[in-house]
Amino acid sequence: MNTTQGQGSEPAARSARVVIVDDHAIFRSGLKADLDPSIHVVGEAATVEQAIAVIAQQRPDVVLLDVHLPGGLGGGGREVIAGSAALLPATKFLALSVSDAAEDVVAVIRAGARGYVTKTISGTEITDAVYRVAGGDAVFSPRLAGFVLDAFGTAPADIADDELDRLSARELEVMRLIARGYSYKEVAKELFISIKTVETHVSAVLRKLQLSSRHELTKWAAERRLL
Amino acid sequence: MTTVPTRVPLVRSSDRFIAGVCSGLAAHLGVPVVHVRVAMALASLAGGAGVVFYAWLWIMVPTADESARRQARRPSSPIAPAVSRETVPAAVPWTVAPAGGEIAPPSTPDGGLRTDTASPRGLGYPAPGDAAAPGSQTVRPPWFRFREMRYGKEILLGAGLLLVAGILIAQLLGVDVPLGTLIPAAAVLGGASIAWMQLDETRRAGLVDKTKADQAGGWARLAAGLALVVAGVLVMVSGSGSWEQTWLALLASVAVLGGVVLVLLPWALKFWRDLEAERAGRIRETERAEIAAHLHDSVLQTLALIQRRAASEHDVIRLARAQERELRGWLFADPGKDAGQLSDRIKAVAAEVEDLLGNAVEVVCVGDTAVTEGHEALIQASREAMLNASRHGGGTVSVYLEASGGRAEVFIKDRGPGFDLQHVPEDRLGVRESIIGRMNRHGGTAAISSSGEGTEVRLGFPAAPQDSTEGKP
Repeated sequence: MNTTQGQGSEPAARSARVVIVDDHAIFRSGLKADLDPSIHVVGEAATVEQAIAVIAQQRPDVVLLDVHLPGGLGGGGREVIAGSAALLPATKFLALSVSDAAEDVVAVIRAGARGYVTKTISGTEITDAVYRVAGGDAVFSPRLAGFVLDAFGTAPADIADDELDRLSARELEVMRLIARGYSYKEVAKELFISIKTVETHVSAVLRKLQLSSRHELTKWAAERRLL
Repeated sequence: MTTVPTRVPLVRSSDRFIAGVCSGLAAHLGVPVVHVRVAMALASLAGGAGVVFYAWLWIMVPTADESARRQARRPSSPIAPAVSRETVPAAVPWTVAPAGGEIAPPSTPDGGLRTDTASPRGLGYPAPGDAAAPGSQTVRPPWFRFREMRYGKEILLGAGLLLVAGILIAQLLGVDVPLGTLIPAAAVLGGASIAWMQLDETRRAGLVDKTKADQAGGWARLAAGLALVVAGVLVMVSGSGSWEQTWLALLASVAVLGGVVLVLLPWALKFWRDLEAERAGRIRETERAEIAAHLHDSVLQTLALIQRRAASEHDVIRLARAQERELRGWLFADPGKDAGQLSDRIKAVAAEVEDLLGNAVEVVCVGDTAVTEGHEALIQASREAMLNASRHGGGTVSVYLEASGGRAEVFIKDRGPGFDLQHVPEDRLGVRESIIGRMNRHGGTAAISSSGEGTEVRLGFPAAPQDSTEGKP
């Protein structure tokens, strides 16, 4: 009942190595206990510097990254991603936050995170999200989908501006359904497409979110001093 | 007699021959337009005085539109020409005895006993035995204060002009007027008053909002006032109008002034900086106090409650959710956004349902719109759907609101066992009446899809249909 983010096709023997970066020890231990036993927590970090060091040393599959972190230059999660840029294609980042602010979310996504989930997420959901990110897909919470729709507008633009600055009609549909609380599987069923296609659409949206120069996104980024 | 408070403001009327001056003046003075026009024409014959007066009014008096716009923009500017200022009494309820019986005050609670004509006119004494008397005696009749406050500058200016006119006439009649003393004295007075007006202005607004344009204007006025005063004093002191002497004196005085400034400047700067630092500190302190007060009122109270209710998981979750919601609202609220929009209402309803049943209700909003009457039905139907979803779904309820171009859609999704709409008993009004019926009655749509994996209610409300109440171009 709690698997919002889709019960995707589950390979029989899957496992992932993760590093948890969060400045609250209570949250880290809670998260560790919640994660599926097949996920191995190979390191923990509480500050930007520790995180960069641990990630470089462990080279995990996935980093569960808090958006707000002490240390470094005050950049928090996105500074960790920037500091681990060399490992980026192999190591995936999944942002975790309590923040509702669009600029926080967009800042880490644009820095290179593959997804964004809130800290109230359940153990099953986070496990699922970890595997999804490890598999190269993007993880969108309903809220992130809402931000995307807000930023790109809810009408498919047909003017021939930069392809990065608008969502296709299909991508909009997918984002809407995710914002409505649909899992990837449910989205696939609703739109009569395969889960793989849904994942492709979501990844395309993530790419646009990271690369687009839409005014709303650059504004949010500027508010986090990204530019 | 005392018609002052009822007098309409002096503005140029749109009912016009040339520039609407005469009709505006007539309305202002309360005399027929014809009289004013004739008087103006007659005055024009007397050496063109009427023409000059007309032209002056044309330039100085705003049209009704301009006046309204100016008042909307600068509600209390002390510099704006007071001639055009609205006389408020017509709109403001009189809390004191009126100046004259002509104005009917809103009836006081005991007003039945009192007749307006019974109150002595002119000075606004309250009628004997009037219950409002003790209060109203301490307050001056508004028109009196009004005149003192608002027309003060104009009266001074008029008196000054009259004085000048009198002096000129006296001179024409052969009286020996000591112009050599009067002109510098007038310059000193004028300069000082300009500078002081500036001081007044600065204290009122300058410290609050330091827009650059205002400051530049202020400095210019200050400098003009200063120059006038200095020139006046010099001419007076030197006692002669000869340029060489005045120049010398001017140089000397500028040198002295420069020296004084040089000595005092560091002091002034230091004083100013201390003042600024103190102000900044005070602002920080206020902010900190506000945050502390908020945390105390909300977070600490909730934490205390959670400790006391630790045994009940349900209560703890509910308290934590409520506190989270409240804190989020406080931290992430967009101050630029209008309150009371549709998204706020939907979130409020979701919070209510969350509190009531304990299951989380996650709301995602895209776009927003002002709440119209029809939207109330949408909000109520959403609430009903959320209640059902929370009650029967038994897990997190996802709510999605999308509002764009006036159209609003709400989706409420749960992951409960689902139900078959066909098999809902006729007497169960929840879904049929409160959701579908309500939406249909108000011109909206409602659709429900349910399966073993959950239920989704889709509510739609079109852009305000044949918009008759608002939004006209």
